[in-house]
Amino acid sequence: MNARARQRQLSARDMRAILEVTSALAAPFDLMTMLGEVVAAAKQVLGAERGSVWLRDPATDELVLEVATGMRQVRVQSGVGLVGACALARGIINVPDCYADPRFDPSVDKASGYRTRCMLTLPLIDHKDVLVGVMQVLNKIDGVFDADDEVLAAALAAQCAVALQRVRMTEVLIEGEKMHQALQMAREVQMSTLPATMPRLPGYDLCGTSKPAELTGGDTFDLAQFEQGLLVVLGDATGHGIAPALSVTQMQAMLRIAFRLGADLDSAFKQVNNQLAETLPADRFITAFIGILDPATHRLRFHSGGQGPILHYQAADGTCAFYKPTSFPLGAMPLSALKSGVTLQMLPGDILILLSDGFYEYRDAAGEQFGARRVQDIVTACRDRTMAELLNLLMQAVDTFAQGAPQEDDMTAVLVKRGMAVAAQRAFKRSFDSLPGIVAFTAEVFARERIDLGLLQSVDFALEELFTNMVKYSATSPAEVHIEITQVDGGVEVTLTDYDVDPFDVTKAPEIDVDLPIEQRRPGGLGLHLIRRLLDSIEYEYIKQNRQSRITFRKTRAQPPAPDGTVNPGEK
Amino acid sequence: MLAIDHGPDGTVVVAGRLDAAQAPVAQAFLDRVQGAVTLECSRLEYISSAGLGVLLKTQKRLLASGGKLRLSGVSRHLQDIFGYSGFDQLFEIEPAE
Repeated sequence: MNARARQRQLSARDMRAILEVTSALAAPFDLMTMLGEVVAAAKQVLGAERGSVWLRDPATDELVLEVATGMRQVRVQSGVGLVGACALARGIINVPDCYADPRFDPSVDKASGYRTRCMLTLPLIDHKDVLVGVMQVLNKIDGVFDADDEVLAAALAAQCAVALQRVRMTEVLIEGEKMHQALQMAREVQMSTLPATMPRLPGYDLCGTSKPAELTGGDTFDLAQFEQGLLVVLGDATGHGIAPALSVTQMQAMLRIAFRLGADLDSAFKQVNNQLAETLPADRFITAFIGILDPATHRLRFHSGGQGPILHYQAADGTCAFYKPTSFPLGAMPLSALKSGVTLQMLPGDILILLSDGFYEYRDAAGEQFGARRVQDIVTACRDRTMAELLNLLMQAVDTFAQGAPQEDDMTAVLVKRGMAVAAQRAFKRSFDSLPGIVAFTAEVFARERIDLGLLQSVDFALEELFTNMVKYSATSPAEVHIEITQVDGGVEVTLTDYDVDPFDVTKAPEIDVDLPIEQRRPGGLGLHLIRRLLDSIEYEYIKQNRQSRITFRKTRAQPPAPDGTVNPGEK
Repeated sequence: MLAIDHGPDGTVVVAGRLDAAQAPVAQAFLDRVQGAVTLECSRLEYISSAGLGVLLKTQKRLLASGGKLRLSGVSRHLQDIFGYSGFDQLFEIEPAE
C-alpha cells in the first residue's frame, strides 16, 4: 500500500510527536546513537513494543540489520521477505497477522522466543529519493497498526531517512578529517627527523631543506656531526606520500645510528643498503647520497646510490664538476662488494650542491625540465651568497621557471660551502727590518694556497707602502703589526692591524695630481696614490677602545684598476 | 601509452612510456617471463622511477632463479637515466645502434 495514496491529515497530537522526534534526531552524530534514537522514536510515536532499522548496503543491494532489540545482525537480499519486499516496492507494508503472511520469516522469533503478532514495515527514503533503509515496528501495544499509524509512520520515516543520511555524510567528513589529521601528524614526525638547525662547522656554511609535494614526502636529508666528521645525506625514495616517507625516515635513522656507533662510511653504506634490500618491497628503492666531510683535511668522501647529478662548484677556476652515482640505489640489491667511494677536496669557496630530482626534473607548462644547466648557472652567479640565500635563489628560480606549473615531486636540497677562510696570519715587528719577512710570508701563502702569482707583486707593493707608513707614523708603539691574508674569489683580501696608535685614514689622504708640471709636484703621497690604482679596493677602520687601526685591501685578477680610482672610504 | 609484447626473435619488446600509470601493465607482463630475457627498448620513449621499479623487481626474480634481464636498444637518453640512477650497475645494457 502506498503512503502517498492516503489523504488523511496528521492530527495536532501526531504533529507534536513528530516534531519532538525531529529535534531528538538532530542531535546525534554517530550512526549507532542515531539508529537507537530512530527506533525509540518509532516505538514511542506508534505505540509499538519493538523496532528495528535495516540499512541498505548500496554495494550489494542487501539490507543489513544494524540495530534491533535482542536480535543478531542479519543480511537479506532486496526482494526477499517483508523487509526485501518493502525495499523493492518502496512502500509501507502493514501486516496485521504475521503468521498468516507467507513473506514473514518466523525463524527470528524462534531464535529469540519473542512472538511477533503484527508488523509495520516502511521504507526510509531520503530527500534525493534514494532508499537508505527499511524500518520495522512490531506489535502495537493495544491491537494492530491502522491507517492512521501508516500516515504517522510515513511522516516519521521521512524524518529518519534524512537524519540517517546526515549522519552518514558527517561520518564521511569526520573520517576525512581524521585522515588529514593523521597525515598532519605523520608530517610532523617526519619533519622532526630532519635537522631543525644546521650544525655549526667552523669555516663552513651549511644549509638543507625539504619541501614535500604532498603532506608527507619521499625525500630526506641530514647534516649532523659525528666523530667521523660531518654526515651529509640526501635521500629520495621512489614515489611520494606516506609509504616512501616511511622508507626514507627509516634509512635516515639507520644511518644516524650507524655513525653514532662508530661505523665508517663504507660499512654504514653497505649495511644500511643490505638492511633496506631485505625489508623494502621488491620494486622499491631509495636513491641516496651519503658522505662524510673531514673538517680537518677538507676531504669529503661519499657513496651515492643512484643519487645524481652531484655538483661540485670549484672556486679555484669557477667551474662545476658533475659526479654520477657510485652505485645503484639503496635497497635495490644486497651489496657483496663495494666500490671505493669518491673523494672531493673542498678548497676555499668550493660548494657541494645536492638536489633531489624534484629540482632537476621540475617541469614548466610546456614540459621542459629545469635541468642541471640552470642550477649550475645560478650557483656560479651567486657563489658569494650565503648558502641560505643561494637556496632561496634556487627555489625562486624554479618558481619563476615553472610559471605556475604545480610541484609534482618532493624538492630537497643540501648545500655545503667551504668559506673563504683566513689563509694565513702573522705578526711583524714594527721595523723596516721586517720588510723581507713580509715578502717571504706572502710568497709562502700564495704558493701554499695556489693563489694567482700574477697578483703577488701588487700585494707586496701595497703591503710595503702601508707597513712603511705604520712604521713611520707610529714609531713609538711597541705593538707588532698583524697581517692577515684571506683567499677570496679570484684573489686575496689582506688586512693590516696596527695596535695602540692614533687614527690615520689612508683612504682620506689627499689625491695628488700626477699631471702637474714638475715644479708644482710635492713629495709624498705617491705611494698611496699608486696603491689606489693597483688595488680593487681599500678600506680603513679605526676602533677607539683599543686604539686599533685596520686597513683592508682586496686584489683580484677580475678587476683591472679603474682610471678614476676605486677607493672605498672607511665606514667607521 | 605503453605496449609490451613478445617480439619475433624471442625478445620482449617494450614501446611508449613506462611511467607510474603504465607500470602495473608492464609488471603484469614481466611477472610471467622466465630465464634469460632481453628487453628490447629502442622504442621506449620514457621511463620513470616507477618503471625502474618494475625492471628491478623483474631482475630480482629472474636472478633468484638463475635467469636475468638484459636491456637492448637503449637510447642515449635512457642510458643517462640508467647511469644517473646507478641502474647501469644492475643490468647489462646494450646501447642503441
